[in-house]
Amino acid sequence: MSRSAKPPTAPPRPDQAFISVRGLTLRFPVYGYDAKSLKKHLARVAVGGRLDQARHGSTTVTAITGLDLELRAGDRLGLIGHNGSGKTTLLRALSGAYEPDEGQIEVRGKIAPLLDLSLGIDPTATGLENIRLRGRIAGLSARQVEEKLDEIAGFTGLGPFLAMPLKTYSAGMQARLAFAVATAVDADVLLMDEWIAVGDADFQKIAHQRLLGLVERAGILVLASHDLDLIRLYCNKVMRMDAGVGSEVVPVKALDELLARPSVR
Amino acid sequence: MDIAEHMLRTGSRGFRDDLARAVDDLSRSVKGLGLSWSLAWHDVVSRYRGSILGPFWITLSMAVMVLGIGFLYAELQNIPLATTLPFVALGIVFWGLISQTVIEGCESFVQAAGMLSQTSLPMLTFVWRTVLRNLAALLHHLVIVVAVVAGFGLWRTMDLPLALAGLALVLANVSWMCLLTAIISARFRDIPQIVMSVMQFSMFMTPVFWQPGERVGLMDAVLTWNPFFHMLDAIRAPLMGVAPEASTFSVLVVMALAGWAVAFGLFTATRRRIVHYL
Repeated sequence: MSRSAKPPTAPPRPDQAFISVRGLTLRFPVYGYDAKSLKKHLARVAVGGRLDQARHGSTTVTAITGLDLELRAGDRLGLIGHNGSGKTTLLRALSGAYEPDEGQIEVRGKIAPLLDLSLGIDPTATGLENIRLRGRIAGLSARQVEEKLDEIAGFTGLGPFLAMPLKTYSAGMQARLAFAVATAVDADVLLMDEWIAVGDADFQKIAHQRLLGLVERAGILVLASHDLDLIRLYCNKVMRMDAGVGSEVVPVKALDELLARPSVR
Repeated sequence: MDIAEHMLRTGSRGFRDDLARAVDDLSRSVKGLGLSWSLAWHDVVSRYRGSILGPFWITLSMAVMVLGIGFLYAELQNIPLATTLPFVALGIVFWGLISQTVIEGCESFVQAAGMLSQTSLPMLTFVWRTVLRNLAALLHHLVIVVAVVAGFGLWRTMDLPLALAGLALVLANVSWMCLLTAIISARFRDIPQIVMSVMQFSMFMTPVFWQPGERVGLMDAVLTWNPFFHMLDAIRAPLMGVAPEASTFSVLVVMALAGWAVAFGLFTATRRRIVHYL
């Protein structure tokens, strides 16, 4: 039934977020720690022969092969697949960190990668300093950070602790702070590697609300997860990845059918 | 909804396209110089957190070095202290700027691995971060510069605009060195060690402490072919009220242009790969 469900092909309205990935192939050169040494590299030049690259530890891993993906505002895509199937790599490529080897990625809208909450967090700095720094990294101007400071500080519920260095915090408190800052940025495209759940039971509840609000405001969500219930809950579309190959995008109600396939292609 | 941001990434379409991307990275990084400064200032603050003097510790240790070496070399080279002390003071302060920026350049990308692998921040942002961090350190050490300029009456004879022009040219040169070492060190982890040795060797080959004597034979060769001599002299000589060598400024301009061409060429060629080196 779902096989006929194709992504909308109408051109996106210019004022709306969209993601368009065509024929994306990503290869990682793996520079073995041996090959990273200059001596080996010079030795290779000195020998003068054309040696097989693989023999020197510089092998290439193809992480994503010929992936196509079209998403429009309102799409909430769940990415499923085994470990190493390329989900995180795809998210990083969508964030703009990885350049395609072939094909193209086009994203309109402000991208907020929530892939690693600890990004840009400095344990020796105080809570407030961390909020400012993380906000700047996320693309806020110094003034915008100051405007949002009270709201973020209030949300963490850490009160006077914000003036103390982060290393004095418990793991849960640190997570609260990181979460509050990471989710303070309004974005059109939200990228998440696993649903973020932090803090104690009370905090989890408000964090959940905040994340839902963020997803609601964002045009597009791409969520990679192994938790199928989560995907059923938050996503309206799914794509399965298998060894770097992506399936077509199907509505979430066809999830079971997608899983039942022996492989995606 | 107002959506201004747009990102398009494609596979390589040849050198010209890669060059356009590298230029785009450059222009985005210049527009986002405020972020580089925030990161640089954060580095300075966090490095000296909990210490009372903060970055002035380095200033203090430089001052002690200036006094020690100043008195010693005045005696050794038989030159009046009033000449040696400002010479050594300015030499040590500005040599510190040059060598630290190049050495710390090696870490520019390696340190930023986390941010580079999951955001679309321009890569050159992290090169500017290193340069600005060292400029912030220099601001602290200006205490020493002001002290010798005031204490030895250099302000009467100095040519401040020329010294500032020299500083600008030095920054133009250290930043391409910073970019170059950042890229190569990301790929080959031996480079930081090599860079450190080269800078240490250069410190002794450059008249940081010792006064250059007659320009004959080896001395002439050492001064003419040492890029760091020209860099240092372009700032120090005008402050000392001496005209820098005629060739110094043209050497610096040519070196900045050639250096940026090489470094930016390498950046263009490797930009896609750098994130995978890390």
